[in-house]
Amino acid sequence: MNIEHKTWKDPVLIAVVAPLAIVMLVFFLVPLAMTAVLTFQTTQYYRLVWTWDLKVWTEVFSKPHYWTIIGRTIVMAIVCVVLCLLIAFPTAYALATRLKSYNTQIQIMIVFAFLTDAVLKTFGWILVLDRNGVANWMLGTVGFAPDSLDILFSPAGAMVGMVYNLVVYPMFTLYLSLVRIDRDLLLAAYDSGASRLRTFFEVTLPLSRPGLYSGGVLVFVLSLGAFLEPKVLGGGTSPLASELIRQSFETRVNWPLGAALTIVLISVGALTLALAGLLAMKRSPALRRRAA
Amino acid sequence: MISHRLKDRLIDTGLVGSLALLLVFFYIPIITLVAFSFTSSRVLTLPIEGFSFEWYGELFRKPDFLPAVANSAMVAAVSTVFATILGSAGAIAWIRYRFRLQNAFRLVTFAPLLFPQLLLGVVMLLWFSVLGNWLGFSTGLATVIIGHVVYITPFALVIVAVQVYGFDETLEDAARDAGANGWEVFREVTFPLLWPGIFSAAIFAFLLSWGNFYVSYSLAGTARTLPIFVYSGIAVGSSPIYPALATLNFIPALILVAFGELLRRRALKRQSMPSTEE
Repeated sequence: MNIEHKTWKDPVLIAVVAPLAIVMLVFFLVPLAMTAVLTFQTTQYYRLVWTWDLKVWTEVFSKPHYWTIIGRTIVMAIVCVVLCLLIAFPTAYALATRLKSYNTQIQIMIVFAFLTDAVLKTFGWILVLDRNGVANWMLGTVGFAPDSLDILFSPAGAMVGMVYNLVVYPMFTLYLSLVRIDRDLLLAAYDSGASRLRTFFEVTLPLSRPGLYSGGVLVFVLSLGAFLEPKVLGGGTSPLASELIRQSFETRVNWPLGAALTIVLISVGALTLALAGLLAMKRSPALRRRAA
Repeated sequence: MISHRLKDRLIDTGLVGSLALLLVFFYIPIITLVAFSFTSSRVLTLPIEGFSFEWYGELFRKPDFLPAVANSAMVAAVSTVFATILGSAGAIAWIRYRFRLQNAFRLVTFAPLLFPQLLLGVVMLLWFSVLGNWLGFSTGLATVIIGHVVYITPFALVIVAVQVYGFDETLEDAARDAGANGWEVFREVTFPLLWPGIFSAAIFAFLLSWGNFYVSYSLAGTARTLPIFVYSGIAVGSSPIYPALATLNFIPALILVAFGELLRRRALKRQSMPSTEE
C-alpha cells in the first residue's frame, strides 16, 4: 500500500478532503447541533419562540408515556439484533465457506434485494402476511391449519419487516470477518486433535467477533429509527419512538419536543456505540495499542 | 469414521440450507409483488383469479405517477454524481493518505451510515426549516438531494475504499518511474484501476437514492418522489397498481446490479491474480 503523508498546506489534500468534509459539517454536524439547541426553545401558537428554557426537557422527563414508548423501541431493537444475528451468522458462514462457485450470483441476489425500494418490499410483506396471503398458503400446503399465521398488524409483523430490512448489515460485517480467517489456523486446530465443534467455538467464533459486534451494533442503532415497518406492518397499535417523533412534528407542530425526543433516541444509539467500542477495545489489545 | 463423515455432510447441508432459506425470505415479498401485478381482481389476496395487464394501464393513468417518476429520476441522477465523486475522494483520503485530523474526518464521513435514516431526515429538516426561515426558502427537491448526498456518500465511500485497498500500487510506481507526473499517474493508472469500484458505487448510489423513503419523506416538502407516492397510496388503501409499479421497478434495477457487480468482481480478480497477498 502506497501511503502518502500529507499536510494541510498540500492543495491536493485540500481538494480531496475539503468538499466532503464541508458537506458533512454543514449538512450533518451543524444540523445535529441545531437540533440540540432547538430543544431549549418553546412554541407558542404553533410558532417557534427563541428563548432558553428547560420546559421541553421537563415535559420529556415527567411524562412516563414517552418512556414507555422509548423503552418499547429499545426492546424491539434488542429483539431485532438477536434475530438478525441468529440469521446472519449461519448464512454468512455458508457464504464465506461453502458454494464457492455460486458466490457471485448469490451476492448479487442479496445486494439486489437490499437495494430494492423499501416501501415496496414492506408493502409486499402485507400481501405475504395477510390472512389469505402467501405465508398462510405455504403453511397450509405443509399441513398447518388455515389462518395459522396471524401476525399482520401486530408487533410481530413489524419485527418481520425490520429483520427483513436490516439483516443484510450483519451479514456483510460477518462475511468480512469470516472470509479473513486464515484456513491454516483451522487446519492447525484439526491437526492438534480438536473436533469441528471445538474448532468452531475456539477459533472461528472468537475471530468472527468483530463482525458480530459491529453487525449487532449497526442493527441496534438503525432499528431505533424504524418507522415504515411498525407503521405499515405493525398496525399502529403499539407505536415506536419514530412515530412519536413524527407526531410531535406533524400533528402537534411542536419542534422543540420533537427535537428533544430525537436527541434522546440519538443518545441511546450513541451510548450503545460507545459501549461497544469500549468493549471491543478491552477484548482486543491490538485495537487498544492503536488508540493509544 | 462413517458417523464423522455423516456429521460433516449434515453440517454442510444445514449451512447451505440456511442460505437457501435466507434467499427465499429475501425474495418472498418481491416475487409476491410480481405475481400480484398480473391479477385481474382488485383484491390482493390468494387465490389469484385471473391474468391481466390492466393494472399497468391503471398505474400510468394516475395523474401523479409520472411526475413522481421524473422527480425520483432527477434526484437520483444528481445525488449519484455528487455522492460518487465525494465518496471516491473520501475513499482515497481514508486509505491512502495520512494527515492531521484524519480520525475526525473518518468519523464524520462514516457517521451517517450509523444514523437511523428517519432521525437523519428529521435533524436535517430542522436545520433547513430554520435556515429557510432566515433565507426565505422552503424544503423541496433541492433539499432532498442534499439529504441523499449526506446519506449515500458513506456507502459509496466504503465501496470505493474496498477497491482502493485491493489495489496493485506497483503499477503506479512503474508509471512514475516512466516519468509521469502526479496528475498523469492518477488519470492514466489510478483512475482506470479504481473505475470498476467507482462504477459499482455509482449504481449502488443511484438505487439507494431511487428507493429512498425516509430522507425524502422528511425533506421533500410538497414534492413527491416515487417511494413517497407509494407510501401515501398504500396508507389510503392497497391496490394492484403498486405491485405493478414494483414489477416495473425491479427489472432495470436487477440489470444494473448484476452488471455492476460482475464488472467489479472481474476487475478485482484481475488485480489480485499477480500477487495474492495484500
